[in-house]
Amino acid sequence: MHRNMRNSFRWQEKPRMCYQPSDDLFYWKIHTKTPSFFSTLKQDAAAGSSSMMSLRALALIGASISGILSFGTITSADEAEHGLPAPNYPWPHKGILSSYDHASIRRGHQVYQQVCASCHSMSLVSYRDLVGVAYTEEETKAMAAEIEVVDGPNDEGEMFTRPGKLSDRFPQPYPNEQAARFVNGGAYPPDLSLITKARHNGQNYVFALLTGYRDPPAGVAIRDGLHYNPYFPGGAIAMPQMLIDGAVEYEDGTPATESQMGKDVVTFLSWAAEPEMEERKLMGFKWIFVLSLALLQAAYYRRLKWSVFKSRKLVVDAVN
Amino acid sequence: MADEELTDPKLYLEETCKPKCVKPFWEYQACIKRIKGDESGQKHCTGQYFDYLKCVDECVALKLFDKLK
Repeated sequence: MHRNMRNSFRWQEKPRMCYQPSDDLFYWKIHTKTPSFFSTLKQDAAAGSSSMMSLRALALIGASISGILSFGTITSADEAEHGLPAPNYPWPHKGILSSYDHASIRRGHQVYQQVCASCHSMSLVSYRDLVGVAYTEEETKAMAAEIEVVDGPNDEGEMFTRPGKLSDRFPQPYPNEQAARFVNGGAYPPDLSLITKARHNGQNYVFALLTGYRDPPAGVAIRDGLHYNPYFPGGAIAMPQMLIDGAVEYEDGTPATESQMGKDVVTFLSWAAEPEMEERKLMGFKWIFVLSLALLQAAYYRRLKWSVFKSRKLVVDAVN
Repeated sequence: MADEELTDPKLYLEETCKPKCVKPFWEYQACIKRIKGDESGQKHCTGQYFDYLKCVDECVALKLFDKLK
């Protein structure tokens, strides 16, 4: 009775002579009419047509080899175009449960403010974001009050300027992109709010770039107004070297060497791009743990319920 | 207070890593010699330079952050 019902559910084209284990389980899986490449190989092998199988196998091997070989030509392309890949630095916040070095964020903000803010905006970060991360509320309020912000219109319909508040964004050095390009020889100093996420291998790239100004190799000439940096795609960057030993005097007395400032400013920029990182890691660790336990429970429950089917025995009562 | 003479640990580490990267360094020097008389301006040693810098970078990256605060 069960076998008669089975044939009415099957959508396969070929009539099957023998019992197949998949029959027992009420799969509603639709078998596709065009079998895959690998299944044709298997069918040919099963049918005993060895010449067809070897031809197909040969075609597969040939296609994969020519595909792999074609990648070899890419490495000989101009390396300066892609820029020298940045090495991987052991960032203190890199681990699965590691937090930011908040003292480094504080120093990095100081570097940004004194060295970078004259050309680079960070228009997505507000002063209030710094509270509890790098500065106390009083310190941040005092910092914000140092800038002038255009506000308004007032009751008379006029725009007015006022000292900054916690809710204000970081000030922009230029009113618009065109002004920024005009002052910087046609090059636009990008907004740094998300820069470590906006560049491939962002944290390592920015650190390598800032500390990687060198003499160009033999045969490479950089025009006036540009500077050589091997990590920058193309090699010629408009920004001169900004991190110079002693450029900043750190509040906490840390010696302000080029690489120290680079590390601190990249930590600050990483925080600016991913302020949620610490909470994300905590949440991720917690939920991966919880879901692993749930997986174990679900697997046990599934096997418990399916044990009835899996231990079922059928008797084939056929007369030939 | 910060001391008067600031020495960047990166420069120091690059000096110590140079002996480990002698082979790409000599490749670069050989390239410079090869293109010395070139007038066309098309020849350059970026490839060899990058190989040398990559070797130095990897050596420096391992130790640099230990020397920073």
